[in-house]
Amino acid sequence: MNIPLNLAKSSLLALVIFWTIICAEEGLDNDLVLVILLSFIPVFLVVTIVITGSICPIFWFAKKENSNSIQIFKRYFPYYAIIAFFSSVFGIIISNYDIYLMAFFVAAFITSSQSWVWFANENPRHEAT
Amino acid sequence: MKHILILISSVLFSILFYEKSIGLNLLLFAIVTLSILVVHNPEQFKSKRVMFYTIAYTATAVFVFIQDSGLSVIANCVSFFTLVGAVSNDKTSIYIHWINGIFSSVAAFFFRTVEGRKNKKGKILNKKTDVLHLVKLVGIPLVFIIVFVLLYKQGNPMFNNLVDKISFNFINVQWILFTVLGYYLFSNISTPVLVEPATSKDINTKTKLHKTESFSEEKLKKEKQLGTTLLGLLNLLIIVYIATDIASLVTLNITRAPDMSAQVHHGINTLIASILIAIVIILYFFRGNLNFYSENKILKNLSYLWILLNVVLIVLIAIKNQNYITSFGLTYKRVGVHVYIFLTLIGLITTFLKVMHIKNMVFLFRVNTQIAFAILVLFSTINWDYHITRYNLNYVNSYDLNYLIDLSEGNAIQLKNHSLNTELDPKFYNKIDAKYANYLRHLKQKDWQEKSFEDFSITEEEKNL
Repeated sequence: MNIPLNLAKSSLLALVIFWTIICAEEGLDNDLVLVILLSFIPVFLVVTIVITGSICPIFWFAKKENSNSIQIFKRYFPYYAIIAFFSSVFGIIISNYDIYLMAFFVAAFITSSQSWVWFANENPRHEAT
Repeated sequence: MKHILILISSVLFSILFYEKSIGLNLLLFAIVTLSILVVHNPEQFKSKRVMFYTIAYTATAVFVFIQDSGLSVIANCVSFFTLVGAVSNDKTSIYIHWINGIFSSVAAFFFRTVEGRKNKKGKILNKKTDVLHLVKLVGIPLVFIIVFVLLYKQGNPMFNNLVDKISFNFINVQWILFTVLGYYLFSNISTPVLVEPATSKDINTKTKLHKTESFSEEKLKKEKQLGTTLLGLLNLLIIVYIATDIASLVTLNITRAPDMSAQVHHGINTLIASILIAIVIILYFFRGNLNFYSENKILKNLSYLWILLNVVLIVLIAIKNQNYITSFGLTYKRVGVHVYIFLTLIGLITTFLKVMHIKNMVFLFRVNTQIAFAILVLFSTINWDYHITRYNLNYVNSYDLNYLIDLSEGNAIQLKNHSLNTELDPKFYNKIDAKYANYLRHLKQKDWQEKSFEDFSITEEEKNL
């Protein structure tokens, strides 16, 4: 599993989704650019916690001799996606549709799902690491 | 052609739902959804089961338009996931339809990306790669151009003025994002995916119990003795309880609402405990080989008797709840108690069938979830706010008017008519007038997508009460 590369790609994806949703609501101005660039740090931290805390353990525990990344993905991702989706919807509803939290949950759901795909599609030479 | 249909549907999705509340739009969304499902999966729609779920989904969408109630919206969502799941595979249990339907709707795109890559020589890989490449080709330069334009604006006032003159105000980015969401949803459901191995395991699981190799007459005799003693004593106990309950129902004259409420709720708690234990005990004894033991007649009959006595318990609680309703009117909680009682009755009947026809636990799950779905759809066809208001105003002497005022705006006209024809406490006139005024104001603000059947059919007379 190439975790650093996955974290880098996921953080970038989360950053783009999060700020696209917020800028669509509130507009984009010059002052915001610096905030967007700096926000990469907290986004990276959150992405690291979510991926290493919820996706990586599934791959680590489920990895057996005869099951590769794609098999693990096909077996466990559906349940992960369903739980993540309903948790995100629940979060959006209890936040009373606050735009920042909505952007956070949407970004979290899409990024974590795409992270699964990147792990599943990894080149077999990374599997041993 | 199929792709164009999804594109058109996603634009329609935004037209129907962007900044809109629920109403006619959900019915139109159901029509669009069905069109996409039929065009992409014509073979599946030859199945009777899929046709049944199609009818259920359409019916719930119609009732969202007619009733405009929260329950009908929930029933519509559940029917949507059930139909999508049934299109993915119609041979599975309903709960597997739900898993397949929810997963297909929310994350099929990601699943297909991996499936497509796995099939390296297939066409799907090329298509997915092209899409990803296209996204990169457009997205990455776009992000960098925006960043650099914003940076250069700081450095050169002339460039700043030039950029400021460019206005993209005519583009509603939120609307576009909403359309993307619609595209994502429709593209996901167009070809539903299967959650494996849950789907194949469910298809291969039968509901009939079979005699196992560990069949031992001696062990079964001891188990039968234990079961007979336990169920015999429990039957005696429940008979005594029922006798005292009937006596208290006939002799005690409870007229105060809190006392009646306490009586019903205590009864419900007893019922929950009794029936759960009853079902667990019966399932335990009839989990395996005892079903095939030749001398299990007494135990079976005791089980049937206990189920029957629990049904009597249900009837007693229903009578208490009905007395409560007759005296103090309908509320959602009191309707809920009746629904719970009804579901419990169904649970007991299916347990009885399980024992009689020697079925396993899967049978119970399959049948009960199917019945729960049918009841949800059935109950969503009832306009509860209207019926609660009508019943309380016409048949109950001591009802809570504040409760009726706090219900949805669907009963505003009923309450206004009532206030015009009946003498009420003065404070209620203001509350009812405020509710009626709010109803008319919201009706005026509604767009065509948000309107319900009642909104379309309201008369001028009703608008000017």
